[in-house]
Amino acid sequence: MEASRRTFLGTCLVAMAAVISAASAYPIWRYLAPRKINPADVKVGIPVKEVLEGEAKFFDYAGSPAVIVHKRGGGLEVFSAVCTHLGCIIQWEKEKQDFLCPCHGGRFSADGTVTGGPPPKPLNKLPFTVADGTITIG
Amino acid sequence: MKQRCIKIARSSFFCASVLIISALVLCVGLVKTVRAEEIVCIPCHSGLPEKFSAPVKLWQKSIHAENGIACNACHGGDPKDAANAMSPARGFLGVPKPADIPAFCGRCHVGVLKNFLASAHGRALGKGGPTCVTCHGNHRVLKVTLDLINEKTCSQCHTFERARKIRDAMAQTEARIVAIDNRISEFKKTGTDTEIVEKQLFSLRNGLHSLSHVLEETKLTAASTQIDADLTKIESSLNDLTSIHKIRKIAGVIVVSAMLMTALLLHLMRKTY
Repeated sequence: MEASRRTFLGTCLVAMAAVISAASAYPIWRYLAPRKINPADVKVGIPVKEVLEGEAKFFDYAGSPAVIVHKRGGGLEVFSAVCTHLGCIIQWEKEKQDFLCPCHGGRFSADGTVTGGPPPKPLNKLPFTVADGTITIG
Repeated sequence: MKQRCIKIARSSFFCASVLIISALVLCVGLVKTVRAEEIVCIPCHSGLPEKFSAPVKLWQKSIHAENGIACNACHGGDPKDAANAMSPARGFLGVPKPADIPAFCGRCHVGVLKNFLASAHGRALGKGGPTCVTCHGNHRVLKVTLDLINEKTCSQCHTFERARKIRDAMAQTEARIVAIDNRISEFKKTGTDTEIVEKQLFSLRNGLHSLSHVLEETKLTAASTQIDADLTKIESSLNDLTSIHKIRKIAGVIVVSAMLMTALLLHLMRKTY
């Protein structure tokens, strides 16, 4: 009688241990598992001819504003258009060839580095490739 | 046995006291660090007659003080050197003339300045028109709410009718922004990482408030439509967070129940031996 009772309680304990283990392991798995929507998986194509030299083109990338700048003298750069200070959307100043944040006057050069104002870090660069006349971001 | 219990209790009390005292010392240390970095303007001006000390008291209640934007951020000068703090050679600007106030504030509030200058208010600059401080005050600049557009302030110069229309055009969107802001604050209290949604909301809020300086009801109505769509996205993100929190609470209850059940089962099992 005691033996069968012990077996029953043992089985229940194993079941409880399984529940506790699963509940403990799930958050760890959630933390380590890749995100469902990985911005790196999103690709956006923009024809090179749409971005003239000395100008910038804003577009939507993975639900967030981004910008391509075609620097004077050549060279492309692609950034998140979100200011690193408080999250406002930066503006391209063609005459000055830099970015201005209208909220608190943060300034970034055409290569994304902070040149003035309160932003604590440079603009986030986005990976891109150029092939067959198309800039592919992501 | 009794003496042993008393000994253990004394040790526990001692350890707890040491921990609490250490935490308090750490906190005081942090406060001291902040105070040590105080700029020279504050202690000096605080001891001066009312005319010169009042700005300090007003500033201390402002959104600028809350965000660490001190005297020198606007007035220039050297906040680390009491002797030369107000030297023009160190970039001290002093008090701007009324017509220079928009440019003074606009060094940081670039978008607002642009919209203000394009407005009827901006066109009246230097001709009796309002400046930033007419509505926002000077040192006690508070976080903006729609209450800033009120009959008392606007009626200083003109009737309230048009201002009321502008306020009404913003009311619905502003109410949503405030509601979302409150939701984000609640999430922050629980230690949730809200940086992204906070920044998104700040950008939208700033966009709406900045545009309000154009004083054109139609532009505000059009912008509000776009902002409302973006607010819906933020609300959706917050709803996802709410769902996650609910799941976590349920999971917590299950785990605690399972642990209690395990303890009971172990107790019962011990009795079988």
